[in-house]
Amino acid sequence: MPKWFTPAAGLCAVMFAASPLVIANAPYESTMGLVQKIFYYHMPAAWIFLIAAIVCGVASARYLFTGSITQDRVAWAAAEQVFLFGAIALVTGPLWARKAWGQWWQWDVRLTASLMGWMVSCAYILLRKYGGPGSDKLAAGLALFGAANVPFIYISVNYWRTIHPATSVVPTLPVSMGGPLWFCVVAFLLLFVLLMKMRIILEEQRTRLDSLYLSLDE
Amino acid sequence: MTMLRRIFVTVALLAGLAGGVSPVFAQAPAGQQNPAQRDQQEGFVPIDQLPPQDQLPAAPLLIGAYVFVLLALFGYVFSVARRLGAVQREVQRLEGDINRSARR
Repeated sequence: MPKWFTPAAGLCAVMFAASPLVIANAPYESTMGLVQKIFYYHMPAAWIFLIAAIVCGVASARYLFTGSITQDRVAWAAAEQVFLFGAIALVTGPLWARKAWGQWWQWDVRLTASLMGWMVSCAYILLRKYGGPGSDKLAAGLALFGAANVPFIYISVNYWRTIHPATSVVPTLPVSMGGPLWFCVVAFLLLFVLLMKMRIILEEQRTRLDSLYLSLDE
Repeated sequence: MTMLRRIFVTVALLAGLAGGVSPVFAQAPAGQQNPAQRDQQEGFVPIDQLPPQDQLPAAPLLIGAYVFVLLALFGYVFSVARRLGAVQREVQRLEGDINRSARR
């Protein structure tokens, strides 16, 4: 592990431990009340879900065009982050919606496109795990589709009629709500970087293991 | 008519009589109903907000969301750490084997 990893992991743990206190001190939203506080974990998780999908798509494109194994490792690591943070966004969202909208799920554009993006990550992981030889290129193509879906997810709330909050909510937040949100965004971003690093090192170690087995056979 | 058949017919008649008559006795006279029951029978009154006891509580949803996030993150970190540990142990074992065979 690199030198910066342990202090960064410590900082990330402290930020996650402090986040419930920071969120508890944020004011209640006037119409949704207590349940709106799910927002402070839901939105950073949703952002990381989109960022990870872009990272996976860009790395896959570079792997397809250059054949770089490093980019393939980055893409695989990012696909697992898309799965993890997508699952968090897709579970916390309905828990919030149940109280705020009166129903768990709405088949509107943002929710459906997000579910689709998450399912692409599921397909990518299954393909890499069970697809056999050549599945890396097929999975990379799938990741491009996942990344192309990201702008669609982001802007969908501004172009289609939906009950999901629009993108204008975050820039207009008062400091008392924006402070805790950005605190959680930094904590989630730091966690994403740490998990990516761990996952890339795992792939490097697997490659090393394969080469050791090959040298043992020779 | 056999004795058994007579008993069945008598029981069936008594049951039918009791079933038909009991709702008549069960209903209280209109004057004895409470005002809320009378209002429900006579018409529905709309209100803007649910009474507090009928509203869905937010705390279980909020706690459920935070517990899910923390469990998912811990679970994933644990999974990656376990996989990484297993691969690193295997790498060390193989490197040891290769070094030993090279010395021979």
